[in-house]
Order: sequence, then C-alpha cells, then structure tokens
Amino acid sequence: MTESRRKVVPVLFLLLGAAVMAVPFLVTVANSLKTFEQYISVPPQWLPNPVEWANYGEVLQREPLFWRFAMNSFVVAGLSVVGCLLTSSMVGFALARLRLPGRQALLAVALGTMALPTVITIVPSFVLYRQLGWLDTHAPLILPYSLGTAFGIFLMRQAFLTIPRELLEAATVDGANPWRAFWRTQLPLVRPQLATLGVFTFMASWGAVLEPTIYLTSEEKFTLPIGVISLQGQYMGNEQIVAAAALLSLVPMLIIFVAAQRYFIRGVVSSGLKG
Amino acid sequence: MTPVDLDVRPGRREDRAPSPPSPRRAGSARRRRRHDFGWGLLFASPYLLHIVALLAWPIAASLYLALTDYDLVRSPSFIGLENFERLLHDDAFWASLGHTAYFAILYVPAQTVLALLLAVALNRTLRGMGFIRALYFIPVISSWVVVAFVADSLFNPTFGAANAILDVFGLPAQKWLQDSALVIPTLAAVAVWKGVGYMMVIFLAGLQAIPPERYEAAQVDGANGWQRLRHVTMPGVSGTTFLVVILSTITTLQAFEQVYVMTEGGPNGASELTVLYLFRQGFQFFHMGYASAIAWVLCLLILLLTLAQLWLQRRWVHYD
Repeated sequence: MTESRRKVVPVLFLLLGAAVMAVPFLVTVANSLKTFEQYISVPPQWLPNPVEWANYGEVLQREPLFWRFAMNSFVVAGLSVVGCLLTSSMVGFALARLRLPGRQALLAVALGTMALPTVITIVPSFVLYRQLGWLDTHAPLILPYSLGTAFGIFLMRQAFLTIPRELLEAATVDGANPWRAFWRTQLPLVRPQLATLGVFTFMASWGAVLEPTIYLTSEEKFTLPIGVISLQGQYMGNEQIVAAAALLSLVPMLIIFVAAQRYFIRGVVSSGLKG
Repeated sequence: MTPVDLDVRPGRREDRAPSPPSPRRAGSARRRRRHDFGWGLLFASPYLLHIVALLAWPIAASLYLALTDYDLVRSPSFIGLENFERLLHDDAFWASLGHTAYFAILYVPAQTVLALLLAVALNRTLRGMGFIRALYFIPVISSWVVVAFVADSLFNPTFGAANAILDVFGLPAQKWLQDSALVIPTLAAVAVWKGVGYMMVIFLAGLQAIPPERYEAAQVDGANGWQRLRHVTMPGVSGTTFLVVILSTITTLQAFEQVYVMTEGGPNGASELTVLYLFRQGFQFFHMGYASAIAWVLCLLILLLTLAQLWLQRRWVHYD
C-alpha cells in the first residue's frame, strides 16, 4: 500500500462515517420544516419547500405545555447537577484526604455499585418513594444524584489525590476547619473535574426516560423527553410539529456540548480507563 | 446512560500514610483523631445515606418482594419461590430473553469493531478532526426521544429515507421497525449509530497509550498497514476492547429506553426486551413481586455473563 493511499483510506472512512452520523439528523431537521403534506409525501420530498417555520412557532408560541416541560427539565437537571457536584466532591474529598473509619470499604462499595445492574432497584425504589408520598414529584429524579453518584465520587477522589497534601496541611495549620479548607483551598483546584461531572450529570438527567416514566403521572410535571412523547398523542396527524419539539429539546444539550466539548471527552475517557 | 468508571490508574500516587504526629500535637492526638473522624463522617454522610436508602434497603426489599405476591394495594403475601417457578414456564419471559440476546449479539460486536476502526482512522493530526469527532458525538448527547424521531425519518415504511435509497437500487421497500423479522436488527443499527461515538473516544484514549516505539519497530520489520493493525494496535487496545465489550453487554441487557420509545416492544412483541417485560409486569400490571423476580434472574444472568467474559479475557487480553 502506498503512503498516500494509507492516508486516504482512513480519511474516506471517517468522512463516510461522519455523513452516516449527520445525514439522519439533517433529514429530521428538514422534516421539522415541512408541512404535513410534504412530511408524508411519497416519494419523499427531501427539502422542505416552502420552509415551514410555523412548526417551531406552533411549539414555542401555541403549546404552553412545551415550556412547562422545558422548565421541569431545567429544574430537575439543574438541581441534580448542583446536588451531585456538591455531594460527590464532599464524599470524594473524604475518601481522598479525611480520616474515616472504613474508608477503603466505602470506596470498594462505590466501585462495586457501578457494576450493579440498576434494574434490581427499580421496583423497591418505587415502593419506597410511594411510601414517602413522593410519587408524581420531581424528588425521585433528583435525589439519587444529590446524594452523590459512584462515578462522581470516584472522579472527585482521583482529582483531590492529585492536589499536593501540603496545601491542605498549610490551610489547616492556618486554623481553617476541614470544611473551610475544602471549600477555599481544594475545590477551586478541581474545577475541570467538576465541569466534567457537571456535563455528564446534566446529560444523564436531561435525557432520562425510564425514571420520569415510572415516577411522574400528571402531564404538567413531565420532563421534556416524556413530554414530547405525550405531545405525540395530541398532535396525531401533525408529526412534523412533534419532530420540531423533539429537536428543540436537544438544543440546550447541544449548546452545553459545544461550549464544553473537551469536558465531555475527558469524562468519556475517564469512564473508560481500565483498572 | 450511567457512565461506569473503573479508573484505578496504575502508577498514580496513592495517598500517603498519615504523617507522624508532631510533639506539639501528641497530647491531644486521640481527641483529634475522634474529631477528624467526625469531619470524615460528615463529608461522607450523603453517600452513606445513598447506600443505605437507595441501595442496601432496595436490594434487600427486592429480594423479599421476589418471594411475594404484591400488587401495591394489599400488603405483600409470602409465596416462597412461586414467582421463579412461574418464570420457568413463562414463554413471554423466555422470548424476551431471546430478543435481548439477539439484540446484544448484533449490537455489541458491530459497535466494538466500528468504534475501533473509527478510532484508528481518527488517531492522527489533521485539520477538522475536532469537528468530525464532534459529529460522532451528537447522537451520544441526544436523548432516545430525539433519536426515535431521527430513526423514524430514516426507517418510516412510507416516507423514510431508507426505503427511498433501496428504491434507487431497485430493491423492495421494507417495513423496518414494523417487521417482526427486521425490528431487532434495525434497533441494533440505531443503537450503534447512537453509541459508537462514545466507544470511539474510549478507544482513542487506548490507542494513544500505545508506545510509538512499537509502531516504529513494526515499520523496521517491514509490517504493512494491516499487519500493524493486527499485531500492534489490536493487542495494544485489547484491555480497552475488553472494557468496551463488558460495558456494552451490561447496558444492552438492561436496555429499556430505546425499545420503550421506538417500538413499545412491537410488532407483536417481537422487540419486547427483558427490562421492558419487567416494566410492564411491574408498572402496568402491578405484579411487583413477579417483576422483582425477573430483575433478580436478569441480574444473575448479567453476573454470569460478566464472569464468563472475565474468564475468557485471559485468552485474548494482553496487559503490559
């Protein structure tokens, strides 16, 4: 194989793959800009003509529930991120730097739960939240993140271990209690890992389908993914409007991704490093 | 998607043993230690609560519920192993396991091979690589609801793009997700489309950890592109490959959202995966005991499969 072919083949493969990745999205975007007649026309009419921006207008201006769903999603994902960052860094800090009976055991449990299939806890968690009277509230969607996740704790522990211990000792000698030392001298140094954990938590919470399906029953409490599903029933015969709603639900995630791409990549890499 | 982190980087400095107490501190060392434990407990308390309330208790409750008949209205009545006996003769359950296995057999190898090839192709410095990598990542950040619409624009039997492409080549139109023979392969293809970017990035990190000297040595030995892929790259990323296979197997066996959103198990139950079956039993028919039994059997299968893969890895995974 010649040197030039060696370079061309992988690049062609990549571009072909990128097209396979992008084209379905573009077709969907085009669909969301069609009238219903164009949307279902056979053979398919690839480009919307005329471009029907009204579908987006319909979702954003005439569908009050869409804004309700979006607000719910922002509240749920926002609180999940804030809670997860706070608690995961606290626990990660304890595992890295504080005296704690059974510290190694706690770390082992956290690692072990990552291998635990989540299906095992679906039914009893539902029973638990029902007894607490939390069904049809957002609490069951936020609480698991707010009490710290295994991924987050581990990520933060590794982060705190890279900070020289002397820094913490200096802060303690200066009379700061562990909380102040943690908050003032340690947390600012792990911002990249906090960003990584934040974008990952947001992604998981923003896109979740199973938990909202199980825990929420009234439509005005729905988050975007299941809200869009519920709109499908309402707009029977106007699927292009629901396609517009689905694509709109991706926009916040897309903005975060564009702004924080390197943290996403870092998060994926740290989720894949072999033990 | 729950990211799984198995990161224990070799060579990373573990925390040192506590420094010996200075003479000044020695007198109150004991009280100080107790005081320190207090802070440690305080910092760790959220996760301790998590373990007790959201893990230990539910697991114990699940084990108990699996031995009961429970419909959420009357209190659970103990029936011993009856749920498990019923499972043995439940054709729908076995069918769901079959669908799940079929899905996994198509999805896991396809995604692993494609992700590796893409990572090898992407592992070079070239203008626009960041943009290409970002394109592969957009499906990863999309929720399954968005993906369902994208898939529909492709695989809709009447106006989808896939049939239009088949038509160009003079091939007959297919019903894709509405065809009980094609539904699982179509779902697997969509799942690969959504997940391949994630695994590609994991492979990319693995590739960059291979020492360049090995490629130089292979070059000196006159190895061609394929030989280098086969004898340097593949052994070099075998550990990563193993991880990718384990991760995707575990997530596939627990797949729920994709089928719930895209097919609801149809047509005629042809894509009813086990977790969807569990969901129906538990949250539509309120057979909470039976659903718990399904969860335990599924967990056991996941455990056995993971152990089998761990055992098999000794034959093909090379660690440095």
